[in-house]
Amino acid sequence: MTAVGATGAGILERAPRRRLAPHRIVGSIIMLGLAVFSVWSLLDVDFSWARITRGLNTAAGLIAKSDPISFPSIGDLAYLIGLTLGIVVLGTLLAAVISIPIAYGAARNTTPAKWVMWICRGLGVLSRAFPDYVIAVATAMMFVVNSTLPGVLAFGIHSIGMISKLYADAIEQIDEGPVVAIRAAGGSKAQQFWSGVFPQVLPSWIATTLHRADINLRASVIFAWAGIGGLGLRLKNDLQDFPESLGAAIGDGIVIILLCIAFEIVSSTIRRNLLGIRPRGGGTGTTIVRLVTRGRPAPPRSTSPAAFHPASPEEALRRPWTAQRVRNLVWILVALVVVAGSFWTAEVFVYGVNWGQFWPTMASFFPLSTGGHPIGDYFEALLDTLKVAAAATVLAFVLSLVFGSLAARNVAPNGWVRNAFRVLITIIRGFPEIVVALLLIMVTGLGNQAGTVALAFGGIGLLGKLIADSFEEVPNGPETALSAAGATRPQRYFSATLPQGMQSLIGNTMYLLDTNFRASSVLGVVGGAGVGVILFSAAGLQSTHGQITTLVLMIAGTVLLIEALSQYLRWAFK
Amino acid sequence: MIRVERVTKDFGSTVALRDVDLEVGAGEVVVLLGLSGSGKSTLLRHLNGLELATSGRVTVLGEELARLRPGELRGLRGRVAMIFQQFELVPSLTVLENVLTGALARLRGPRIGLFMYPKALRLAGLGHLDRVGLLEKAYERADQLSGGQQQRVAIARALMQDPEILLADEPVASLDPESSDQVMALIREIAAADGLTVVCSLHQVDLALGWGDRIVGLRHGEVVLDTPTEGLSKTQVMEIYGRVTVSTTELTAIEQELGVAEPAAARAVAIAIDALQHGDEAP
Repeated sequence: MTAVGATGAGILERAPRRRLAPHRIVGSIIMLGLAVFSVWSLLDVDFSWARITRGLNTAAGLIAKSDPISFPSIGDLAYLIGLTLGIVVLGTLLAAVISIPIAYGAARNTTPAKWVMWICRGLGVLSRAFPDYVIAVATAMMFVVNSTLPGVLAFGIHSIGMISKLYADAIEQIDEGPVVAIRAAGGSKAQQFWSGVFPQVLPSWIATTLHRADINLRASVIFAWAGIGGLGLRLKNDLQDFPESLGAAIGDGIVIILLCIAFEIVSSTIRRNLLGIRPRGGGTGTTIVRLVTRGRPAPPRSTSPAAFHPASPEEALRRPWTAQRVRNLVWILVALVVVAGSFWTAEVFVYGVNWGQFWPTMASFFPLSTGGHPIGDYFEALLDTLKVAAAATVLAFVLSLVFGSLAARNVAPNGWVRNAFRVLITIIRGFPEIVVALLLIMVTGLGNQAGTVALAFGGIGLLGKLIADSFEEVPNGPETALSAAGATRPQRYFSATLPQGMQSLIGNTMYLLDTNFRASSVLGVVGGAGVGVILFSAAGLQSTHGQITTLVLMIAGTVLLIEALSQYLRWAFK
Repeated sequence: MIRVERVTKDFGSTVALRDVDLEVGAGEVVVLLGLSGSGKSTLLRHLNGLELATSGRVTVLGEELARLRPGELRGLRGRVAMIFQQFELVPSLTVLENVLTGALARLRGPRIGLFMYPKALRLAGLGHLDRVGLLEKAYERADQLSGGQQQRVAIARALMQDPEILLADEPVASLDPESSDQVMALIREIAAADGLTVVCSLHQVDLALGWGDRIVGLRHGEVVLDTPTEGLSKTQVMEIYGRVTVSTTELTAIEQELGVAEPAAARAVAIAIDALQHGDEAP
């Protein structure tokens, strides 16, 4: 070989042709398609000056006529908080219990057979595909409005997807050794699970359940539009008595936001201190706990056992009351009180439940119908919903990429910038997107515009945090190498940080699209556009229930499609 | 008690056991000797049905394992206890509850928490803990104990089964020398007192010689040695063991490099090097 080197003639002929794998090409086309659709959706939202000013004028008029901000009385507050928390606790708990067998079947190392594994995983995906609000509406009609049972059932069904997935992940991460030891001692499958697997996964399971309760509390507001009581219903009622009660509605909103933050603080503290598990999730309360405890490891379990010197096995039967044992017992009692209290405050069975209506209502959901409209109208509504979601996602994506990058330690020019953006994202995250959307839509009288802005706003809180975290997690060897080669900070960002964080960036953005679609399918009930409008108007009469089934299947199908695309893209750009 | 006839086991393309024959009588203490990967663990796991032979027959306590129904196999496993290199206790459970899991084969249904075990069993469990010298640790989390203590808890769990046979898979490979001696002595003492039949895998010739009644050597899934330990010296084991294990190229290399001309001595050196290389692998 001649030593002509890189400048030599014929180098281009000798260099290998760049070959793109087919799945990369398909993946790129899908992403391009999604991007074009999203940008088109954003441009299609009428953000004209005339519309905006009209909305702002409406809002100004309302605010001028409204009473000052006011809060519910202490008694009302206690009652409403109890009701809301009760529904969240019971619903999440129901999902947690149902998730145990599903996770057992879905985890590779415990599943009895391959086909069981796929069925259980399928059930999880399916339960996620039905938005909680939709389940609440459907079940509310079976049990008559005025019962909170539909709310509990909606959380109980919809949360199975996430909870069973994380439960199964935990099972797959256990140490198999103790399970084999129990099998070798003659333990049955059930005994192997409850004595070998369960004690190992319990802390992680509790953490997952608490995390899901955080999420469900944020989502609970929308249940008001299915006729379910609580803080959300109070907000809804105050929003209807416009304009005087706007101040009260804003007061309700503040209470909800503070309750969410307080709940997250409690749940994150339990997860961290009791379970020794770093709390997941990007909620404001969780972030506060993380900031306050930054750098300090979770307190260790008491390693200094109390003196225990039994003279004989008989004497040892009496278990000593160590601090650890007392603490465990207290927590078990607290948990029992919370659950029992939730049955009481949530008023699940107190009134309004009409079991006789169950089967007739069930039957009224079939056959599918479109209420005399051409099916094209339904697809148009679905498209409208998707457009709001896509427009909000692309808006949030652009802003989150900036905010999230600057909130990442390895991208931000200095600690101040990083912390400032972290705090900004955390504050944004403190507003439940659904509350923001409700207030914005009602106050401005704008539908899609307000919905898009609200979802994009919430999206920054979610995606910004996920981007910042994933960028901080990329291996920083390549960044160092580029710095050593004289690259500037932006060059380092585009050549090292961004390429390494690309896969999670794609995954997280698809996740946001998925979240936004669910949210936007619900916003119609408060005056947005799309499937929500038909859904809410069809909920009234039994004769229109077939339409609900049609819509629900369309929504679930779209969610599954988004999820499938997301899986494919993650795989293609691995 | 145990009869293994022409057992071959392959995992896909690799053969773990090849045509193994082994008979163990009541009350015998047998050591399975071999380097890591020689098939000791696999053979042990055939004796309680954790693995089933590809071909051949395993009969334990008069039952042919491959023919047992799942419930019957669990019953049999209840009579055959096993201890492991990594102890395999459930870390977050108390020591006593770990011991009590040894009684699960006798109980119906799952048990969550100490209070679900009958008092008589709890008392028995505490008795076994007393026997291994850990009564005071009964209510501590298993992962708070040292390695040697954890292995003693595992022995108490085995005792909880009231077993007739005790299988031990490298029981001291993860322990320091002092704890190793304690644990090996404890197993021997319990075996003698309770009249247990023991099959224990080890990789150190030294430990095996002073401890078992009989040594069975395995290499690449084949039995290469089966002899009573009485009157057996280390060099003899090395030699018998070495005759099969050391390849001619290895021998020539040693002969040339170290100038050891005598074939038997060269084999012993090769084995010693081998043992050093592999024996230190234990974590």
